[in-house]
Amino acid sequence: MPRFDTDTYVQGVLNGDRRMIAKTITLIESTLHRDEEQTQDIIGQLLPHCGKSIRVGVTGPPGAGKSTFIEALGLHLLENKRRVAVLAVDPSSKLSGGSVLGDKTRMGRLMANNDIFIRPSAAGETLGGVARKTRETLLVLEAAGFDTVLVETVGVGQSETVVADMTDFFLLVALPNAGDELQGIKRGIMEMADAVVVNKADGPFEDSAKQAAHVLRSALQLMHHPRPDWDLPVLLISARTGLGIDEVWKAILRFQGAMTANGVLQARRREQNLEWMTALVREELSRQFDTHSEVRYLLPELRRKVSDGRMTAVRAASMLMQAFSVGQTT
Amino acid sequence: MSESKKPSLDDWKAATEKGLKGKPASSLEWSTPDGITIKTVYTKADVENLRSQDTLPGFAPYLRGPHTTMYAGRPWTIRQYAGFSTAEESNAFYRRTLAGGGQGVSVAFDLATHRGYDSDHPRVVGDVGKAGVAIDSVEDTKVLFDSIPLGTISVSMTMNGAVLPVLASYVIAAEEQGVPQDQLRGTIQNDILKEFMVRNTFIYPPTPSMRIVGDIIEYASKHMPLFNTISISGYHMQEAGADASLELAYTLADGKDYVKTAVERGMGVDDFAGRLSFFFAIGMNFYLEIAKLRAARMLWCEIMEDFGAKKASSKMLRTHCQTSGWSLTFQDPYNNVMRTTIEAMAAVFGGTQSLHTNALDEAIALPTDFSARIARNTQLVLQEEAHITHVADPWGGSYMMESLTQQIADKAREVMKEVDQAGGMVKAIEAGLPQRRIEEASARRQANIDRGLETIVGVNKYKPKDEKAIDAFKVDNKAVRLSQIDRINKVKASRDQSKVNACLEALTQAAASGKGNLLELSINAMRVRCTLGEVTQAMEKIFGRHTPHTSTVSGVYGKVWADDPQWLDLKKDVDAFAAKEGRRPRMLVVKMGQDGHDRGAKVIASAFADAGFDVDLAPLFQTPEEVAEQAVENDVHVVGVSTLAGAHNTLIPQLIQELKKKNAEDVVVVCGGVIPQQDYEELRAAGVADIFGPGTSVAVSARRVIQRISGQI
Ligand code: B12
Ligand SMILES: Nc1nc2c(ncn2[C@@H]2O[C@H](COP(=O)(O)OP(=O)(O)OP(=O)(O)O)[C@@H](O)[C@H]2O)c(=O)[nH]1
Ligand SMILES: [Mg+2]
Repeated sequence: MPRFDTDTYVQGVLNGDRRMIAKTITLIESTLHRDEEQTQDIIGQLLPHCGKSIRVGVTGPPGAGKSTFIEALGLHLLENKRRVAVLAVDPSSKLSGGSVLGDKTRMGRLMANNDIFIRPSAAGETLGGVARKTRETLLVLEAAGFDTVLVETVGVGQSETVVADMTDFFLLVALPNAGDELQGIKRGIMEMADAVVVNKADGPFEDSAKQAAHVLRSALQLMHHPRPDWDLPVLLISARTGLGIDEVWKAILRFQGAMTANGVLQARRREQNLEWMTALVREELSRQFDTHSEVRYLLPELRRKVSDGRMTAVRAASMLMQAFSVGQTT
Repeated sequence: MSESKKPSLDDWKAATEKGLKGKPASSLEWSTPDGITIKTVYTKADVENLRSQDTLPGFAPYLRGPHTTMYAGRPWTIRQYAGFSTAEESNAFYRRTLAGGGQGVSVAFDLATHRGYDSDHPRVVGDVGKAGVAIDSVEDTKVLFDSIPLGTISVSMTMNGAVLPVLASYVIAAEEQGVPQDQLRGTIQNDILKEFMVRNTFIYPPTPSMRIVGDIIEYASKHMPLFNTISISGYHMQEAGADASLELAYTLADGKDYVKTAVERGMGVDDFAGRLSFFFAIGMNFYLEIAKLRAARMLWCEIMEDFGAKKASSKMLRTHCQTSGWSLTFQDPYNNVMRTTIEAMAAVFGGTQSLHTNALDEAIALPTDFSARIARNTQLVLQEEAHITHVADPWGGSYMMESLTQQIADKAREVMKEVDQAGGMVKAIEAGLPQRRIEEASARRQANIDRGLETIVGVNKYKPKDEKAIDAFKVDNKAVRLSQIDRINKVKASRDQSKVNACLEALTQAAASGKGNLLELSINAMRVRCTLGEVTQAMEKIFGRHTPHTSTVSGVYGKVWADDPQWLDLKKDVDAFAAKEGRRPRMLVVKMGQDGHDRGAKVIASAFADAGFDVDLAPLFQTPEEVAEQAVENDVHVVGVSTLAGAHNTLIPQLIQELKKKNAEDVVVVCGGVIPQQDYEELRAAGVADIFGPGTSVAVSARRVIQRISGQI
């Protein structure tokens, strides 16, 4: 892939040039160290232009209708003259490293519109990687003038925590099923949610959706919710017919209003910035560790020993850290 | 003579194993893709206690055939599916076919028509007249059936999405020929469930689509008593990748849902069930395909008895069959004549009521006059030279055949149970269950062939040294489109617009209120010269257009290859690319225009991901501009176009232009699918980097794509 100089990326993004926005995101996603360094320069220059959008995280079990919901919400937002960016993080296969990025496929009605930018990304190998890349991509899109950023992530594993940590509003899409599948949603996710929507309230699923909403409401009453001034809404929607989409958006705006008034949103973003800093440090440290020549030299042998039981994990770890810190101080 | 002891199965085993040098006799057994074991020898023990034993053709459970004498009385109907270009051209072709021994007309519509667009719609520029005949209004339909007496010749129409305007236009064309509705004999496919599953020419979402099916059954039961209102089709499932038992089970399960729909509207089972017909594919799995048809009849009889059917005609499954197009190859295409003959024999031994045999250029383009004649003659030879027709159910009583019939029936019952547990076919399809099963089977089959574990003569074994391209049929779709647009304009200029508006309004109202029969209203509309697109649009306002849920399986293809050095090499190349480039190779796989053949696109997406690519799979029915925009947003290295319905020369150059417009000329464009070699040069000149035809192993195409995007070739 051809690379450009930092200025070209920055100006391209600020001018809303779609090809350069895409290229900048690619640079962010790159695993090459030199790209990472340039990315930090670019983000540094874009930061003053960021922060003006509302950031919404969307999670839920596989097949709940997250992508279809985002499509429906996106259409609604377009009617309201908003400019919408969508990020979708797809899990990569552990076996091949590759993946089929399918979420955008489900957003056909949003395609080829200048006020929408949809970018699906493979999660890649590390959770830290997802966090950094998604956050930086989000910033790029804000700098490019998108005033609403929607981030889809599937609610299995841990990527949803990561997404909750970089968004203003966290929405859980639930299946119209009050039984087993409901239990499939981890309690932790429920606690992070700012709203729950029960999807597919249409056709053959209508009744079960209503029932699921009812069960969820009673379940959530028993749960402690950390947000002051906010009653967690449970809404019935159909991403397919558009039922209730308007209500969801109103709830998001209400949340934004209330949480700005009481300062919670500002605090949340400050908190997220601190987390971001910590994450960056951790990621850089682990990168340095992984690429440290002495560590790389010792690691295979030590792994063998620990796995054969010839050395304790504690002892091996301390040897590795020692090797790492020696290199570090010179 | 000395009295010798009758040898037992154990004796047979011992004798066999002697010859096998220590390997067990069971090592000779073969497992079908369905997981049915084909044994080396069958005995009486295999057929003991079979309920279906010793039945007769023409009697329940009809396992041995729906009629008592089968082909001894009257052979099956030779019914060749065809259609292309304009109504004039297709009409001339049907007349040539009928003169040459064809016994019925079977209309293939173009994809614009299938999807309810008039020929002047911007989304169908590449599709008009290409993969079937273009129909926009009654004026076209009249030309299509000109000099074909609709009161005597039975017409079969493969139409599902735009079933209302097309069936309506047929009724009016007949009316204006002087043939009343109650004399119309023929079949309309009208099987919308499998469209959502595999065929992809749906228009509206499932719920309104099922209402349309119900309206048609109801209308026809009153006004068109000789007309077959649904052809419940498994054909497309097998062609999309389903093994025989999945095909069988999902087809019958679809049938159950249609019957349920009609019964829920208050119709008596016996009032309509006799007008339901079936459609199966016959592939190269010779024995099993025969067993499948026998099992289908037995199971349907059971199903209909459960619905309380009393009339014999309600319980007997009658079917059309088509030989498998998927089994035919691009390479060494004359071999296809033999394949088709074998499949045709299986269909006939299975007791089909009518048959289509594919042409030898199936994987290249629509048939030429020559290849169509050979295909038709294949059946004439079977009917008139081979003396096959004298015996009804000739395999009846074969230990193997009776046992296989039972086994595949049992398999299908299992699958049907799974469907029942999911709440019936509509719900199962909504949840993506049958689609997933079929895609898994398709990916596995592809991997087995690509790796050479399953032999395809001329493709992965016994490859010819040098091959000359054979003649390929070509439609000048630009000319067809212009002439269609011309006729649309003429029709619109000469009709009474106020009547048109009133009819369309009535349709919209009925769609909204749920009251009124949509076929009846469509007939009114087509009579006053509304166009197909207008009728479709009138209901689309209320129903909306269905967007399918595209998904892919993962890991199936890679698993078959896991330990193969060629595959490991490929993965190494992909990883090396990723290490150098900072990210995995990223490919956008797309289908453009109304081409709904997605088996190849899905296999490619899934297999490339297994090889380590990041793959974006675009939704169906994209325009070149939409594809270019996605390529830019997703910043892919390569766009891979899968094209099978003949629009490649129109749409791929357009895509390359659109990419240029967006300063994205560094995005590599490759394509694959059904493309005659005669078109390669034009595509290359337009900027296509590589072309991968049918039969290309993914291990080969993936490696070439890597080389292309890293500038190595
Ligand atoms: C299967 C099939 C169907 C199935 C499709 C099921 C599905 N969901 O895909 C069914 C039965 C539904 C069907 C229906 C129709 N079909 Co059809 N069908 C075929 C058939 C027999 C095989 C295609 C196939 O899937 N092969 C298996 C896959 C894996 O192979 P493949 O797609 O070629 O892909 C391989 C390579 O080409 C390459 N490749 C392909 N794409 C790409 C992309 C990239 C990036 C790469 C790297 C490689 C690559 O790699 C793959 C692996 O080797 C072909 C004839 C044939 N033998 O090819 C006719 C054919 C394509 N169909 C045809 C027609 C006309 C139709 C209909 C339009 C008929 C009608 N008028 O109603 C309908 C409508 C369907 C629709 N919605 O578009 C015609 C098209 C004529 C033309 N091109 O001029 C063909 C050629 C048959 C013929 N000769 O008449 N069909
Ligand atoms: N009936 C109905 N089906 C829906 C609705 N929303 C989504 N679906 C269907 O549910 C399936 C999954 O939808 P997606 O939007 O892909 O779900 P998702 O949560 O993004 O899925 P993953 O990204 O794969 O986890 C598809 O078949 C959709 O058509 C709805 O409101 N009603
Ligand atoms: Mg999704």
